[in-house]
Amino acid sequence: MADASGRIEVSGLTKMFGTVKAVDDLSFTVEPGTVTGFLGPNGAGKTTTLRCVLGLVAPTAGGATIGGRPYAGLTTPPKNVGALLEASSFHPARTARSHLRIYCTVSGIPKQRADEVLELVGLSSAADRKVKGFSMGMRQRLGLAAALLGDPEVLILDEPANGLDPEGIVWLRQFLRRLAGEGRTILVSSHVLSEVEQTVDHVVIINRGTLVRQGKLDELAEHHGHAVLVRSPEIDRLVTALDGKAELTKLPDGAVRVIGPTTAEVGHIAFTERIELHELATERSDLEEIFFALTGEAGAVEHFGSVEGGTAQ
Amino acid sequence: MTRLVQAEFGKLFSTKLWLWLLLGALGFTALFVSLTIGFEGQEGNPVPPLSTPEGQRNLFSSASAAGIFALILGIIAVTGEFRHQTATPTFLATPRRGRVISAKLLGYAVTGVGYGILTIAAAIAIALPWTSAKDIELTLTENGIPAVLFGVAASVAVYALLGVGVGALIRNQIAAVVGALVYLFLVEQIVSAVPVVRDYYKWLPGGANNALTGTFVPSVDLLEPWQGGLLLVGYALVFAVLGTVLAVRRDVT
Repeated sequence: MADASGRIEVSGLTKMFGTVKAVDDLSFTVEPGTVTGFLGPNGAGKTTTLRCVLGLVAPTAGGATIGGRPYAGLTTPPKNVGALLEASSFHPARTARSHLRIYCTVSGIPKQRADEVLELVGLSSAADRKVKGFSMGMRQRLGLAAALLGDPEVLILDEPANGLDPEGIVWLRQFLRRLAGEGRTILVSSHVLSEVEQTVDHVVIINRGTLVRQGKLDELAEHHGHAVLVRSPEIDRLVTALDGKAELTKLPDGAVRVIGPTTAEVGHIAFTERIELHELATERSDLEEIFFALTGEAGAVEHFGSVEGGTAQ
Repeated sequence: MTRLVQAEFGKLFSTKLWLWLLLGALGFTALFVSLTIGFEGQEGNPVPPLSTPEGQRNLFSSASAAGIFALILGIIAVTGEFRHQTATPTFLATPRRGRVISAKLLGYAVTGVGYGILTIAAAIAIALPWTSAKDIELTLTENGIPAVLFGVAASVAVYALLGVGVGALIRNQIAAVVGALVYLFLVEQIVSAVPVVRDYYKWLPGGANNALTGTFVPSVDLLEPWQGGLLLVGYALVFAVLGTVLAVRRDVT
């Protein structure tokens, strides 16, 4: 499973809708066997990107490959790539089982697989009910079942948590972890980092159609979240001592956030300069704040770089 | 392709639309055949009397009214995918969208033949006992009636095909259904009645269909039945190809 066949490569992808640039020269790679969160605020271009990867939307420029081939070039796509897009892709008068069986027929998958995937997502008891009576959560589960029909090594899930109640989100989280544990490559989009935070190990963050950051989730936290919080009656002397060695933010309550050196290094500098310290603590910033900072969404925390006029926690 | 056609039957028979439209088709057949027999011999009736071969052929041609239901079935086969967004899983499973339309053309041609056979069966089941009760001599094997029966079945089948073509060209379900009905019942009726453009009527889908079914149209020249049938199939295929290139390949968002 974990060879190059599951690699998703997006290169120079651009999509215009009329004069609106939904995706702008976007490039990123999803390595086989990883679980990648595809993050960005609403309208960032996530859905358009995923639909381009899946061949449903024709890119204006650039393109995407899965295992080195464009989606339309796959022999039996559902056996390589499972996709969950919007939750309403069902004929309301069709039962869950007959919906799945139709796509079994199309891809030459044995019909009993329909019952297997219904069991997998916990919909067995609703198999013979018409989809029009399904709740949002049931539709999402049925969508996941459809994505799993061909037992694909790659899963592309667009906002799978949308419309789920808290219980459903917990279920989804566990379900995704289980799928990831089976060594599948998963690209899962969300506009809320916390929804996928516990599931993903990589992130691709986009905003306004362009790449903001790509990397491991813990590196993201490392790079942005590691700060040292210090309090001192002689704070100005400490700031002078740290000047040039760290990124400093004065907080309204008098403390200073130091980014760069470790707690030990800050403590050492204070000690050699004989500066009295009242507090010296590691401040691990919440990933959600980092996400907001990177995507610059309304209500977000300001970027850490500014020394003047720090922001409240 | 076999799997794709099978899947089309799976889609068709997993909802009840085919049944309602079939009942509609049979109902229309019953209505038109009954009207033709019921008004037989009434004063001012423009259709030829049932005692004549022409009148007997016209009686069975009237069953082709069922075709409109096959047309709607074909339209919904394509537009329903967009309306219910099943186009997404359908094109995910079959990214080459032309293959999906081809499978629908094949599947609905077969379905149309089924509709056609049931339509003429209904027409015969009503006409034979009723005409014999009215002492009208009617033999199915004479007076060119076999050709008409074949033409009606073929016409209903081709209308299903034409529906797939129309649906591929016009993705919006309501626009496609309303547009097709307005065109057939209004635009073509006007064309067939206005002297200047009347000569072109035989080249239009409705005119071709009337040629195929041997329907009596006052003061208009029609093609030969086989020509009309071929022309209709041609319309269906041209619409399907144009639709695939122009509409079906558009972004599915």
